[in-house]
Amino acid sequence: MTTLAAHLKERVLLLDGGMGTQILARKPTVDDFGGARLEGCMELLNERRPQWIRDIHGAYFAAGADAVETNTFGCNQVVLGEFGLAHRVEDLNIQAVQLAREVARSFDQAKFVIGSVGPGTKLVTLGHISHGDLYSSYFAQMIGLLKGGADAILIETSQDLGQIKIAVRAAKAAMAELRIERPLWVQVTVETSGTLLLGTEIASVISTVEMLDVDVLGLNCGTGPDEMHAALAVLAETSPFELSCLPNAGLPVNVDGKLVYNLGPEVFAEKVAHAAKEFNLNIVGGCCGTTPDHIRALRSKLGHWSVTHRSPSLDRAATSLYQAVSLRQEPRPLIVGERTNANGSKLFRDLLAKEDYDGLLSIAKEQQREGAHMLDVCVAYVGRNEVRDAEELLKRLATQITLPLMIDSTEVPVIERALQVAPGKCVVNSINFEDGETKALKILSLCREYGAAVVGLTIDEQGMAKTKEHKLAVAQRLVDLVVGEYGFNPSDLIIDPLTFTLGSGDESFRHSAVETLAAISAIKERFHGVLTMLGVSNVSFGLKPAARHVINAMMLYHGVQAGLDLAIFNSSKVIPVARIPEDQRKAAEDLIFDRRVDGYDPLKVVLDLFGSTSAARASEDEVARLSPADRLHRDILDGEKQRILTDVDEALKHHDPLHLINEVLLGAMKVVGDRFGAGEMQLPFVLESAEAMKAAIKRVEPHLPKDASTTKGRAILATVRGDVHDIGKNLVEIILSNNGFEVENLGIKQPVEAILAAHEKHPADAIGMSGLLVKSTVIMRENLLQMAERGLKVPVLLGGAALTRDYVESECQSVYAGPVLYSVDAFEGLKHLNAITSGEPLNRPAASAPGIPAITVLRRGTGVTELSSDGQSSWARRGLAIPEPPFWGVREANHSVEELFQYLDSFVVIRNRWSFTQGQLPDGAFEKILHEKAEPLLAKWKEKLLSESLLKPRALYGYFPVKADGDALKIFDPARSQVIDTLRFPRQKDGRRLCIADFFEPESSGKFDVLPLQLVTLGSEAAENTARLYQANNYADYFYFHGLATELTEAYAELIHGRIRRELGIHGKDAKELRQLFSQGYQGSRYSFGYPACPELEGNGPIHAILGGASIGVEISETWQMVPEYTTSALVAWHPQARYFAV
Amino acid sequence: MAKVHFLTEDLLVEAPLGTSLPDIADASGADITFGCRSGSCGTCRVRVAMGLEHCSSMTAEERDFLSQLGVPSDQRLACQVSVQGDIAVEYLGIEP
Repeated sequence: MTTLAAHLKERVLLLDGGMGTQILARKPTVDDFGGARLEGCMELLNERRPQWIRDIHGAYFAAGADAVETNTFGCNQVVLGEFGLAHRVEDLNIQAVQLAREVARSFDQAKFVIGSVGPGTKLVTLGHISHGDLYSSYFAQMIGLLKGGADAILIETSQDLGQIKIAVRAAKAAMAELRIERPLWVQVTVETSGTLLLGTEIASVISTVEMLDVDVLGLNCGTGPDEMHAALAVLAETSPFELSCLPNAGLPVNVDGKLVYNLGPEVFAEKVAHAAKEFNLNIVGGCCGTTPDHIRALRSKLGHWSVTHRSPSLDRAATSLYQAVSLRQEPRPLIVGERTNANGSKLFRDLLAKEDYDGLLSIAKEQQREGAHMLDVCVAYVGRNEVRDAEELLKRLATQITLPLMIDSTEVPVIERALQVAPGKCVVNSINFEDGETKALKILSLCREYGAAVVGLTIDEQGMAKTKEHKLAVAQRLVDLVVGEYGFNPSDLIIDPLTFTLGSGDESFRHSAVETLAAISAIKERFHGVLTMLGVSNVSFGLKPAARHVINAMMLYHGVQAGLDLAIFNSSKVIPVARIPEDQRKAAEDLIFDRRVDGYDPLKVVLDLFGSTSAARASEDEVARLSPADRLHRDILDGEKQRILTDVDEALKHHDPLHLINEVLLGAMKVVGDRFGAGEMQLPFVLESAEAMKAAIKRVEPHLPKDASTTKGRAILATVRGDVHDIGKNLVEIILSNNGFEVENLGIKQPVEAILAAHEKHPADAIGMSGLLVKSTVIMRENLLQMAERGLKVPVLLGGAALTRDYVESECQSVYAGPVLYSVDAFEGLKHLNAITSGEPLNRPAASAPGIPAITVLRRGTGVTELSSDGQSSWARRGLAIPEPPFWGVREANHSVEELFQYLDSFVVIRNRWSFTQGQLPDGAFEKILHEKAEPLLAKWKEKLLSESLLKPRALYGYFPVKADGDALKIFDPARSQVIDTLRFPRQKDGRRLCIADFFEPESSGKFDVLPLQLVTLGSEAAENTARLYQANNYADYFYFHGLATELTEAYAELIHGRIRRELGIHGKDAKELRQLFSQGYQGSRYSFGYPACPELEGNGPIHAILGGASIGVEISETWQMVPEYTTSALVAWHPQARYFAV
Repeated sequence: MAKVHFLTEDLLVEAPLGTSLPDIADASGADITFGCRSGSCGTCRVRVAMGLEHCSSMTAEERDFLSQLGVPSDQRLACQVSVQGDIAVEYLGIEP
């Protein structure tokens, strides 16, 4: 008789198809299950309806399957326990295997029985069940399957790495107990997202399972065969195990509330056979929706294919729940974050003592952001329960950090608990031979059982190895034990040859770095594949921070030169070696390489170099040493508007005032502009520089000769007709006026006549037009037409959020004879103006080649959605239950400024409104700006706005009966007696053909829907304050206040919208995290006029009128914009399909 | 040239390498809604089903935004992507 192993060596094994659908096709009744309490317990049917199960197995065997899976998918203690049948696990598994075996024997050919083990109903990594309970649940099932005589155990439909590890351990323990060896198969379910349910990428699955020593690793369920290709490709290339693939019959489609799988037998078989060939699969079959017909079709496609052997190659990696991280980083080294360590970080220790897990997590997240590849985690702290602390912290890190973990402990119980909690392939740090081998053996057994790599320290019974020879001798012993006896892959052994401090001056350690570096080279040379690691920062322990950074950086540099693979390091403190001044670098290297000679001790040089001066003091002294002109340059760059006054006074003693302005100050502003352009300086810093510039110019002006002119040219600026937005235009004014230009700022809502009148009165070198609205882009073009009619050729600069370069350079330029120049920001405008006034060639585009459209549609699969008889998109679902509002009509809400701050999107404030963008800055430097500048600034403003009464938030909201009529919403009075207004919305021309009206009940249904409306404002004082700050040349504060007030308005709208959802009872889908809530993490949508789904502003009028906006001081302008500035209105759709869309 | 497959409506478009995804979506009428177009509102979030390596790399802002949102690593903000090769994207802002 052929064995399963022999079959798999020679031919592709055909497994069966779905079991559940076959059972359900027999329409089991309460009676079949043995009572209502037991209804749905499929495993019980092995006992109560054995003939059904025999028939299903028989049909699959007859269709050509080589093997069937037992009806035991949920036959474990957890699932059966839900039916009160936990005690029946073992014997139901035995019965199930025996049933299948009975049928298998009735065939002449060799037929096999595979024991199916499903994932159960609880996710251990998310804490739904304890590790121990899940283990016992599986153990009982494994005993049953093995006693029943299954030919292999198949742990399938796995969604959680933690669950796989437990199930594999339970299977192995059961085999050991019964002294039976059976093949162990693992199959995971990859979602359409390309990862397992919890977000695990397939590479992480492979590296994790590879350590568990199984026989088959494959895929089942989740998707159809096509969607499995990406994961199969990775498995085929890298998995050392035999490969299986059991797809569903396509992706399920919801038909009348039932999941239907659409791939018929022939197509399914075609696709699976194709995959079998392409990826050299060893085992194929089907999952949900597949039937004996699918298997029959697959058999005829496959015939009896012989297997083709793959030559996979797996990069050695450590894994987290989410990703695999190669242990060999290019460029080296792999950086192990060192701050999640109770021994190394006081902050970490204090937070641990307070059990502030959020604080501990934020340390971990910070290291992740700073570029660590792995985190070293150590919770050993005198007086605390290390096992419990490890469990509590690691279970949080496991799901909230995407990096693999290094378990830093030498305590066996701590390591075991940690390995149980962390779902991926960890690295255990560490083993040593300080007290012989006993403890090392225990830890290695755990690493084997749970699948972890291990760090070995060069410590033996003689103590810590200090010389290269001693280190090598211990390394040899580690390799013999870990690779030789325990069979680890050499690259899963990481040897740490120890680093000692050079800072103590202790003679016995002065040569230690040389020995360590030499040991690294020797280990890499002698033990092929074995990796090395150093706790780099130990080398400078006891020295001043500034000295430590330099010495650590040099030690890391030389370690990497010697072949170092991993470094435990504070990644935020990595200084590029090239940036270290030569004298510091030499001193550090001389210290590391112990280059002492008579009268020269590098340690003394290091202490002198870094001894007492702190970084800040040095910089102050540096400034003092500068010439007055250089100090001014520095003041501008640093935005020092106070200090620059005394420096101007001093500079005036030595320099001509015109020279100061034209060369020194404008020269510094040019550097500011260049840095901004290069992404090295953020807008807020630019504004501070501009403030310093303004202050300096004011101070110099009285000293200028009467006839002196310092202006390089003149520009007129205006926000165009119908547009009230002035921040962009004002930023341009700030930059131009502080770079030597005279600017006439006409203000907002300027008709072209006013602009031209100003130009006529006092001609300018250029006219700048600005505007935020989409409509403004059209008006700019109209203005240009009028200017062309008058025969004007003055250069025009255009800027604004809705403009594109293309529109300006083609549409706008084509109607005007003079240059029309797009300015993406104030500095591009400055560049144009400089070119215009100096007669340099303008940076204008070559006319683009006409003809061939660059973007071509090759295929448009889905057609245009049809409209229903109501004139609405048939895509939107109809007939949903309409929520009931708590009242009809309008109410005023009452909220404090503090409540608004709770809904503030600080990410948008800092990164977008305040323009703190990273640009070309390295992560660490930008992080510093966020922590030391942006975040404190936000805190300061919050405090200011809470204590001063600049903001007076007021809001109106209400609910109105509504009926949709084609593209319109008819709004009724609360008594439903008459239509009080009708809102009309545009409809998409193709695609889903959506219109906001589609999300409300059509008139034809006879029902009234509910339309929530809202209007929020921060009051007129806020807008006045903005103007005051600008007038006072407080550029930066003006910019900050405007940005923050804009977002607080948005926050208030978000708050009211949240209240509306709660009052309607549709808040069940509200995201817990604010970040997600701000990304529409809720049911329905809030639409404001002027945005993509309803771009015209006219709708503001009816909302304002219906809610009675005047009662809270809001007016509507002639162009339907709301006044005061920080005001916004919206209508709310509760319909679940209502999301943002563009017309 | 790069091919862009918008999976939601099975729309296949060809565009020169380096073209921005919003330009491609606008020109072809793909069903993706853009909000701020500057990577801070999340309205245009897509899943890159194929060719993630053919998308321009993330700016720090996009990386930080998506990491705060806690989404899988195959998701991008469409407004921040330009195409460097063939890709397939699924727009996530549609509630089926």
